Amino acid sequence: MITSHQLKNGLTILVEEMSHVESASYDLMLPGGFICDPADRIGAGLILGELIGRGAGPLNSRQLSDAFDDLGIRHGEGVGSDRYAMSGSLVSDSLPRALELLSWMVREPHLPEEEIPNIQSVLLQDIDSLSDNPARRCMVELSRRYYPAPYNRPSLGEADGIKKTDRETIQSLWKRMFSPRKAILSVAGKVTAADVIQRVERLFGDWEGEEVSIPAFGALPKNEYFHIDFDSSQMQIVLAAPSVLFNQEGYYSGKLAVSILGASMFGRLFVEVREKRGLCYSVYARHGSTTSYGTVTAYVGTTPERAQESLDVLLRELNGLKSTISAEELDRARTNLKASLIMGEESPGARAGSNAQDWWLLGRIRPLSEINAEIDKVTVASVDEFLSRFPFSPCSVLTLGKHKLSVPTGLIG
Amino acid sequence: MAHKVHKEVLPNGLTILAESNPANVSAGIGFFVRTGARDESDRESGVSHFLEHMMFKGTPTRSALDINLELGNLGAQANAFTSEENTVYYATVIPEKFKAMQELLSDMMRPALDPEEFSMEKKVILEEIALYRDRPHFYLFERAFKDYFGAHPAGNSVLGSDESISAVTRDEMKAYFDRRYSPSNMVLVGSGNFSLDEFVADAQKLCGSWENFPVTRDVPRHHGSSTYKEYRRKTLSHSHAVLLAQGPGAQDDERYALSILSNILGDSSGSKMYWELIDKGLADSASVDSDERDGTGCLMVYVSTTPSKLDDVVKTARSIVSSPLDFSDADLERAKAKIVSRIVLDGELPMGRLMSLGMEWTYRKTITPLSDIISRVRSVSRSDIQRALSQYPMTDWSEYRLLPE
Repeated sequence: MITSHQLKNGLTILVEEMSHVESASYDLMLPGGFICDPADRIGAGLILGELIGRGAGPLNSRQLSDAFDDLGIRHGEGVGSDRYAMSGSLVSDSLPRALELLSWMVREPHLPEEEIPNIQSVLLQDIDSLSDNPARRCMVELSRRYYPAPYNRPSLGEADGIKKTDRETIQSLWKRMFSPRKAILSVAGKVTAADVIQRVERLFGDWEGEEVSIPAFGALPKNEYFHIDFDSSQMQIVLAAPSVLFNQEGYYSGKLAVSILGASMFGRLFVEVREKRGLCYSVYARHGSTTSYGTVTAYVGTTPERAQESLDVLLRELNGLKSTISAEELDRARTNLKASLIMGEESPGARAGSNAQDWWLLGRIRPLSEINAEIDKVTVASVDEFLSRFPFSPCSVLTLGKHKLSVPTGLIG
Repeated sequence: MAHKVHKEVLPNGLTILAESNPANVSAGIGFFVRTGARDESDRESGVSHFLEHMMFKGTPTRSALDINLELGNLGAQANAFTSEENTVYYATVIPEKFKAMQELLSDMMRPALDPEEFSMEKKVILEEIALYRDRPHFYLFERAFKDYFGAHPAGNSVLGSDESISAVTRDEMKAYFDRRYSPSNMVLVGSGNFSLDEFVADAQKLCGSWENFPVTRDVPRHHGSSTYKEYRRKTLSHSHAVLLAQGPGAQDDERYALSILSNILGDSSGSKMYWELIDKGLADSASVDSDERDGTGCLMVYVSTTPSKLDDVVKTARSIVSSPLDFSDADLERAKAKIVSRIVLDGELPMGRLMSLGMEWTYRKTITPLSDIISRVRSVSRSDIQRALSQYPMTDWSEYRLLPE
């Protein structure tokens, strides 16, 4: 059973009671994220996300870390594109203490100035080490070019912005961003709703703050083919094209279309690019949507001599999907999606996360039966209709490796 | 939390372990084969992992495509991995698909090794080798283990090389399979929401006819002497160092004490390495682990940082491990709490439980209830750690560095 309760200050509490587990998890989401970083200090949010763990409430950095570890609480604090997120998993007896520590980090962080250079140093090392992981690097480079500002900001921050961030920036960012308005605290596991709500009310009830304004998602930049020269064994090839929004008609048709194309082992890309031709180890297509934008991404990593053929086959499959899908293929993708929804939510951590995500996007939690009914409604015709609206081309293409590839002019559009 | 583990051994030697829990919404199944890179000859380097791929490429009654599509139809989350000493095939499904998944996975354990599929998959393996060649951190680990273990097979490369993979033939792979995939060298594990009786009965039906033959593995203990080695790479933005010293094997009692000590010294949060290196912004990775293998093992320190800081970072890391007993009682209790919480959380998921049951049986032929593992961790004292250190003293480190050219 899931209970929701909103505090007067705007914080929504979601609790799912799970009787068959010993653990519990929490997930706190605050609107903000790196799209809200000051334009000349991209990466400030990352520093803030780190700094709240370096001393809060009555505890200094060391004591705070020890307080989590004393109870074996696995926790993480971070920043995403449009939110700050704090989560933790623990043996359920430790939940009261975990929520207390969380409230201190959110409401009374010390934000110690002397820690900032240390955090900056690690974040700059992170940016440096991106070249040592070409598959990750090509995604960062594509996002930078494909999305409009500020949504194109790299999740690792910018070196300049990180260096420029000082305590004042952090202090003002914290004041502006850490607000209960539209915040969601989701808890799941061996807990009782009444107890959690009462506790959260006591810890967060008198928290105040203004609503955070999130920049709107603007128009996508013109599509292009980008190439980055890099001396590596494999070439990275990645494409991105717009897709349906999360709350829009045809969302599940889009999700299933991309699954037919690029889901792990039964998808057309895996079968055609890897199984039948042995062109690569890794190939996939993914679908990601929020309520403001949707994207289909397709990826293949392969050695330079086989890169052109890999791209050609990839494009042939993308373009050849419409009007060729069989009912059997669709059913396979449907079964798969439904099974992954069930299996993906076995743990309290997954439940807390997905409840929070639903609330974040829709202001309510959809029962599984409702999602399944939506998935059942998808037909071959509705997938084809999706493909007419979002044909994967024009798209943007990025390659990272030893040489450029030939990209059909019509593809970029 | 405590569910009874059922054990059965088929006449052909296949061990079946089953832990059924009707509260789970999914069920996991896996075959653990006690074979890996250390069981290969030089000529066969990489064949265990290549074979693992080929197990998905068809059986006498199913084509590769049939397998892929069927996994899709079952909504299965299926995968496999190969290490220096194990090859594991596993899948999670919703309960109503468990029976069909068991049938499919069992069939896959007797592969066709079709020559055309073999040639095609060889290209995929070569791509996988190229992929890892672009990940310096992986490259260093492979080289360091090879050099540390020397002639001992625990340091064999899992992926093999372009040369060994190009040269290996289908018949050599078949010979390897015929030498290693005996049912008595495997364990089948089920965990989660499924019918125990049906699982065992189906296993008898599906796997009972597999022919048993003896499989051997030498498990000498490796005694490394300390060395220093540098590797250079052209495109490298970070420098990395790995330090290795003798550690407990998977069958040694000292493993509990030393994994707790490793946590105190080098866990990702709250450890000595964390406070001295990560918190201070000197390194972006710093860890200590106990890598327990079959009959041997090593303790491992790993750090990664910008090239100019590597000397200092290694020096600090060395000083931390050179006084391993310099911790408080609170540090000890904290490390135990972290480990216990991990055991509880992982144990709630069918796949977490499956991996722990399968690995434990493969290495020790024992079944330990979660509650006993937890008591064992909780009971470790400072003097246990002291005793373990007298056996594995964290003094003779071999050091391997990866630096830009």
